Amino acid sequence: MASDNVPLNGEGPALELRDVEVVYERRGRERVRAVAGASLTVERGQIVGLVGESGCGKSSLARASVGLVPAAGGSVLFESREVTPLTRRARPRELARLQMVFQNPYSSLNPRRRIGSQLADALDVLDLAAPRERRARVEELLDLVGLPASAAARYPHQFSGGQRQRIAVARALAADPSVLVLDEPLASLDASAQAQVANLLVDLSRRLSLSLLLISHDLAIVRHVADVVSVMYLGVMVETGPARSLWSLPLHPYTEALIGAVPHPDGSGFLPEALPGEVPDPAHPPAACRFHPRCPYAFDRCSKETPVTLAIESERTVACWLQAGGSPPARPGERPQPLPLLHAEE
Amino acid sequence: MTALLEVEGLRVRLPTPRGFATVVDGIDYHVEPAQVFGVAGESGSGKTMSMLALLGLLPPGAVVEGRAAFGGKDLLRLRGRELRAVSGRDIGMVFQDPMTSLHPMLTIGQQLTEHMRRHLGLGRRAAGDRAVELLDQVRIPGPRSALHAYPHQFSGGMRQRIAIAIALACGPRLLIADEPTTALDVTVQAGILRLLDRLRREHDLSVVLITHDLAVMSSIADRISIFYAGRVVESGRRDELLRRPRHPYTRALLDALPHPEAARDTPLVAIKGAPPSPQQIPPGCRYHPRCPYAIEVCTMDDPPLVPTDGRRLACHVDPFADGE
Repeated sequence: MASDNVPLNGEGPALELRDVEVVYERRGRERVRAVAGASLTVERGQIVGLVGESGCGKSSLARASVGLVPAAGGSVLFESREVTPLTRRARPRELARLQMVFQNPYSSLNPRRRIGSQLADALDVLDLAAPRERRARVEELLDLVGLPASAAARYPHQFSGGQRQRIAVARALAADPSVLVLDEPLASLDASAQAQVANLLVDLSRRLSLSLLLISHDLAIVRHVADVVSVMYLGVMVETGPARSLWSLPLHPYTEALIGAVPHPDGSGFLPEALPGEVPDPAHPPAACRFHPRCPYAFDRCSKETPVTLAIESERTVACWLQAGGSPPARPGERPQPLPLLHAEE
Repeated sequence: MTALLEVEGLRVRLPTPRGFATVVDGIDYHVEPAQVFGVAGESGSGKTMSMLALLGLLPPGAVVEGRAAFGGKDLLRLRGRELRAVSGRDIGMVFQDPMTSLHPMLTIGQQLTEHMRRHLGLGRRAAGDRAVELLDQVRIPGPRSALHAYPHQFSGGMRQRIAIAIALACGPRLLIADEPTTALDVTVQAGILRLLDRLRREHDLSVVLITHDLAVMSSIADRISIFYAGRVVESGRRDELLRRPRHPYTRALLDALPHPEAARDTPLVAIKGAPPSPQQIPPGCRYHPRCPYAIEVCTMDDPPLVPTDGRRLACHVDPFADGE
């Protein structure tokens, strides 16, 4: 039951992360701040893509956004309601409309149970369908993700990777969610299956007014799917903007590097640019701008002061000192020097 | 130019509880020195099996037919010690997941020097020196200390570079790389692609690159064969094949990819359905049930792979013959 100070559904963004921190502590190990104050907003019905390299904290942020890991700082709001970390007790019923889909459906689906019973479980746990309606609802869920009703009688191993991912989406849809957080739902699928699942997600979002937070390392596919893209580097958000303008004019050098690394399927033999170095150990992040040791444009200020997040134009934000003077971003043609190949520093 | 590897009529049959399944069904290709030969297709198209067959790495009970001429020998006729002498030394292999091909409990140095000592007869010190040289070549920082480290101490991209160093240890003439960048970030993938490109140019290494990703293929492959359900449907030069695809399947694979220069609202075009399982190969053209251009003949006659306009093509309809 909603208490008095909680706004009704229909107010506020679908999902709002404010200065979220995720910290992992283990006895005898160093404290790791995987997410170091990251903010992100998913408006209702919007598809937001969150991209970055492995180790940038995007999966930790995804987990924090559904309460799978506690946020050590900041706040996570689902339709203006605080998302509380999972405990042994049943989670508040309202939070069931915030669902998550994981990268590998082969490990999130039970290999020994039929698809139909796994979908029925998801309905039963929330009492969403009377026993008489259950079968029809399962068929409806399968139909939503483009699978035939006969799929209910089969086991996970009888499906291809793309189909299994669609089943995982169907199970999340069983809870009648308003927000889906998807952690790398397209990785490990081949091109055609990837296109099928990507198109399905866009279609579901539009048809069911579903808001999506789509986590992916593949900026090229995210651009096709998302309305807004946030780029994360080593626990912080470096740039956010509408997918199209972010892709055509990246403001942060890291965004530019991610785009430059995408190979083009045009037969030209274009060799993508390799960003030198690796994502540093989050237990020992570089001082000031966390990207400065790998940044081809870094200057004095970048290693001394942490860049503030600047609002550029109406819908874009970027955390980069290059933008602070209002000067245009350096373009690839104006690089001070070509990026060295696989720079020899870790 | 004489080919380094010439494969003819390769056929692989695997035992299943319901009899043999033909997973590679009559494939021809050749790899030239210092070239990257690309093998593309969806999961289950026979890409990997056709390479494992060359190295004698198929599951027990597999039946292989055909010929694979490499350095004056037929790889498919070699057994045991003879095969290891060739495949261990002259052919290197890199797999998708370096964590499964690297031994978790042995140091990088042990894994790098083992087969140099065996195949090249190097002493401990000489093998160690060469190991440092190799790690340096694949741009591992601090190669000397890396020798004493274990695989888990490296990131995914560095592990894959180490796996490549191990594959290169005995100075192979051919490197078979099976989805070497699929599990990696694009930034790291770009580094691996540049590394393979450099090895090809500076060390005359030939590479067979297996991947489902035609964008990766486009950046370094010289020639490409498109596999579908155990057959080659189209093969030819990279620029020809990717700029003017002629087989509906090649075209469909390209349309499914996000293109960096496409408008954002261009939907990705997925291929309907899924590839057939080896037990249920459709009659006629294997692609016809998924092909929007299929006509009656496609459901009955298997199209041969024939030279067509600077490439080889297996299609009755050839709907893009006029460029559109």
